[in-house]
Amino acid sequence: MKSIRFETKTLNDSAIQYAAKELRVNKDFVELNVIEEKKSLLGLNKSYVVEATVDFDVIKDGIEYLKTLLENMQIEAVIEAKQLDERQVLFSVEAKENPILIGKNGKTLDAIQTLLKNYINLYIEEYHVILVDIGGYKEQRKKQLEILATKTAMEVVKTKVKTRLGRMNAYERRVVHTKLSDWRDVTTESEGDEPNRFVVIKPNKK
Amino acid sequence: MAVDFEKLILDLVTPLVIHPEDLLVKKFSEDETSITLQVLVNQEDLGRVIGRSGRIANAIRTIAYAAASRLGKKVNIDFDSF
Repeated sequence: MKSIRFETKTLNDSAIQYAAKELRVNKDFVELNVIEEKKSLLGLNKSYVVEATVDFDVIKDGIEYLKTLLENMQIEAVIEAKQLDERQVLFSVEAKENPILIGKNGKTLDAIQTLLKNYINLYIEEYHVILVDIGGYKEQRKKQLEILATKTAMEVVKTKVKTRLGRMNAYERRVVHTKLSDWRDVTTESEGDEPNRFVVIKPNKK
Repeated sequence: MAVDFEKLILDLVTPLVIHPEDLLVKKFSEDETSITLQVLVNQEDLGRVIGRSGRIANAIRTIAYAAASRLGKKVNIDFDSF
């Protein structure tokens, strides 16, 4: 959890404002706790040592952010979050209008994931990997890509001609690379520049 | 019911800024084919709202675009600071 300690004369809004600025977060998430009260000799000048912490829960606030977004888009949806491991959380969305949320080639899905990841990582100290899936799109796409990779690789082995696949985003290329990483007969490489980067499957010379 | 784009963007951007009191989202113009929105933030927050090479700004644009697709309209969003 992000936190700082500082000394302040007052416990009002300006202390919170200061903490929010130092922690670089929105002040609505800042909580102040008094650690110690300091008084000067005559008791005239009082000051406090306070600890400001960022009150944030990855799953709870993550779901809240997505919920607000979908409500504003007027899309009814059920959102679930699952902690995959210590620093990896998957948010699954099941909506009536999945195609709108996924977008062409998963473009909107990626945008939602980028925003959520950015938002969550602003408020926590340890970097988390945030994944968003809508209606099982990513899982299905992964299966398709693995089939495509295997089929193309078999073709490459047979014909000994290198083959390039269509343009893919980083996640999709990774799926292909991972799938073919234990194949001894082919090597995979990414070529071209974003957003037109693609995977090339090459035969290994014997 | 129509989608309130000003609220959509406001709710997306508010948690990202340090100075929510300086945040302003305004509809600039709207016609049959497009909507133009202006997002004004504190100078200090501009970098966060735009993101590295415009990643955050583009993500917000993509989401607004998706929300407007049912209306068949394009959405333009300008980000600027005071």
